[in-house]
Formats: sequence, C-alpha cells, structure tokens
Amino acid sequence: MKPEQIVEATLFASQTPLTPAELARADEGLSDADVEQAIQVLRERYEANEAAFQVYQLGDGYQILTRPEFAPYLERFDSVPRPPHLSPAALESLAIIAYRQPIGRIEIEDVRGVSASSVLRTLLDWELITVVGRGDGLGRPLLYGTTDRFLEHFGLKGISDLPSAEELPVELGAAKEQPEAEAAPELDQAPEVDAEPPVVALPASDTLT
Amino acid sequence: MNSTSTVRAPDSPVGIGGESFVVELERFQGPLDLLLHLIRSQDIDVFDIPISHITAQFRAAIEHGLDEMPLERAGEFIEMSATLIRIKAQLLLPRPEKLEWEEDPRAELVRRLLEYEHFQDVVHVLQTAEAQRGRHMGKGFVETRPPPAASRSILQLTLDELLHAAAHIPEPLPPIHVRAPSSTVTVGEKVSLLRRLIGRAKRVALDRLFKPWGTRAHAVAALLAALEMARQQVVRIEQTKPFSPIWLLAVGRGGEESDAEENS
Repeated sequence: MKPEQIVEATLFASQTPLTPAELARADEGLSDADVEQAIQVLRERYEANEAAFQVYQLGDGYQILTRPEFAPYLERFDSVPRPPHLSPAALESLAIIAYRQPIGRIEIEDVRGVSASSVLRTLLDWELITVVGRGDGLGRPLLYGTTDRFLEHFGLKGISDLPSAEELPVELGAAKEQPEAEAAPELDQAPEVDAEPPVVALPASDTLT
Repeated sequence: MNSTSTVRAPDSPVGIGGESFVVELERFQGPLDLLLHLIRSQDIDVFDIPISHITAQFRAAIEHGLDEMPLERAGEFIEMSATLIRIKAQLLLPRPEKLEWEEDPRAELVRRLLEYEHFQDVVHVLQTAEAQRGRHMGKGFVETRPPPAASRSILQLTLDELLHAAAHIPEPLPPIHVRAPSSTVTVGEKVSLLRRLIGRAKRVALDRLFKPWGTRAHAVAALLAALEMARQQVVRIEQTKPFSPIWLLAVGRGGEESDAEENS
C-alpha cells in the first residue's frame, strides 16, 4: 500500500480531524513526515481531479471536507443537526479570549461591560475554551484559552490565522497616535492591551479554500 | 443630578424612546454596545463625545427597558449611566487654572469604547470564519440511510365534494341501553386451545386458532393468547417474512402441560 492510500483511507473513514501523529498510527512504516507528504499528494490529486472534496487543515488535524461550492446541495439534506451558530455574546467573549489568552473572567467582563460567567460556562461546555491556568490575582482566578475545537469550529489552522490586532479596521493603536493630548485615551491602563498580537502566518482567506 | 432634568427629552435620532424600545434594548449586548451604537449612528467623534447629549440619550434609551430586564443586566446599564453622569459632573466642575497636564475625564470611557469596538471587529472576523467553515461538510453530514419517504397521496377534493360528503354523514344514533353479552371467547380459552395444539403438533400457524370462527374477537383473543404464551416462554413466535404466516413453535416441554387449566 502506498502511504497516500493509507492516509486517504484513514481520512475518508474519519468524522473528525486527525493529526499527522494520529494518521501515522495506521501503519508502522509511516512517519509524521510521510503523512504530511501523503496529504500533499492527495491534495494535488483531488485538485487535479476536480474532486468535490479536499483535505483541509483544522487546528493541528486534517479532515476531508466537501468544497464550499457544494454547500447549497448538501444543505438540502438537513436531517443531521448542524453545529449551532454562536450567539453574539459568545462570539464577543471568544474574540476577547482568542486575542488576550490566557485571560480571566474579570478582564473579559471589563472589556464587554457585562457579566460573562454564563457565557463562559457555555463555551466551556462546548469545549471551545478551556482553563489553561490560574492568575496571580486575588483568589487565583481561572485563566481561559481557546481549544482545538475552537479552531475546528472556525476552520482555522491556528490562532495565527486570525488577523493581527493591527490589521483590524478599528485598531487600538489608532487611539495611541491621536494627537490631541487631552482626549488621548490612556491605553496603557488597559490590562494587557496588545498582548502579543499573534503573528500572521497566512491571511484568514487561505484557511479553507 | 438636576443637570439631568435640564437635558431631558432629547431628540431621538436613533429611534429611541417610546414603548417599542423595550424590544430594542434586547438587541444590545450591554451598555458599551448601546453607547457605541449611539455614537456611531450619529457620526460622533469618539474622541470628542458630547457627554451631556449622549448621557441624556443613553438614559432615555434604557428608561423603558430596565424594568423588563433581569436585575444583573439592568445593573450593568445603570452603572454605565452613573459613569456618564460622573464624567459629566467632572467636566462641569470649575477647574483650577494651572494643572500641568490634566486628563480628560472621558479618556477612560473612550478607551473602553474603542477596545470594545475593536473586539466587535474580531467578532465579525469570527462570524465570517464560522460561516465559511459552515460551507464545508464532513462525513456524516448527510444521514447514512434516509428514512423512506412516506407515500403521501395528496387528497384531490373540491369544496363541493367535501360539503356533499359532510352532508351525508349520518346523525349519530341515539345510545342504546342494552347489556351486551360478554365476549363469546376468552383469552383463557384460546390459551388452552393453543396448549393442546402445540402439545400435538409442536408447530401451529396462528391463523389456525381463529380461522374456524373468523370473527375479530377470536382473532384478538388468539393473538393475545399467543403473546401470553410467548411471555410464559411456552411458545416462540416466528414469521419468516412480512405478511407470511405467523408460526407458533413449542419451546422445550411446554406442550405437555396441555389441558391443565380452563378446559373449554
């Protein structure tokens, strides 16, 4: 069996993304590098054959998914419930966590101006976020970070797929450079403002194409 | 607080005020969302917010919605309202002339607003990514074996036909008060019949139990008897394919106890 055949069979049979390490378990002769290479072969083949599906990277894993242009056809089969769209409140909290992680509940609430505890519970239930540690503050608050499920849900390869803080239309940086000293907002007061803007490896549009 | 009353009843360029606002307020994620909406929808320079104007609008906006809200959520709006009034008060206070560099009381609020707006952009990025991801289906999206489509023959019927049919529904007969004789056949009878047959043949077709009588009561009693005996594990019920005869098969020594009870 060729490596790409083994990888193809495994990916085909899986309903969830598989990491190269997981795929390599299919055969003793397979290394992670073989798997990566096999995936590349498969991708090119599917591309050349105009297959209706492609191997996509979601987080650390790979999964065979249909191409977006077939969505209208598949959506007619609504027999299987689709993952629910996240509410604005959930998205707000996720956005803050994604850019400021690890971050505690209080800091999230500071940004949103509203309570976040119930939203955080929902996000934890859905495994979109997880507790990544404890802060130094009073009561050693729980700190949250995003999970692989988060990357899967949004079709991202990694957190770096998200545009960096500078690339967004409303930048925090714009306020900094505001000339009128009087109204200049005190950005430095913000808890960890601009905390390490993620390095942008690829524009988000490249993630799933 | 008397400053509040002077700026009462602001014009409401964003459709605020009136009873309909109760629903409107639900749309906002929180006080920052509402405040940002007020500012952005009126093209106000966020670095030079007319606090008095915005405060009045904000207070008018939440006035109707607060009662409907859970206490915690209402508190968040009230806190913002208080913050706005505090900032306004600070702006109104006469300031000593020479303070080297004085911070604008609005600065902290502006910072929070911009930060909030910044994350609204992230929300849009996430929403787009979510929608895009939703257009890729993995295995299992389409149900493996869809249920057979129920044959729905649509009734072709005109109103006239319906009325005609309705007119011919007979009047319900007046209830008759007679005591009907109790069932002519009992499950017990069928059980003993079945026991006898099974004892002899080891294998009996179910319809043999009621064919000779051919009435519904017999069929029902026979079926119940068969089920009862299957429950007692005296017989096994088998059918090779749909609509084929149903067979009752003797289990173990079940047949030997025939005629033990309720001889008919």
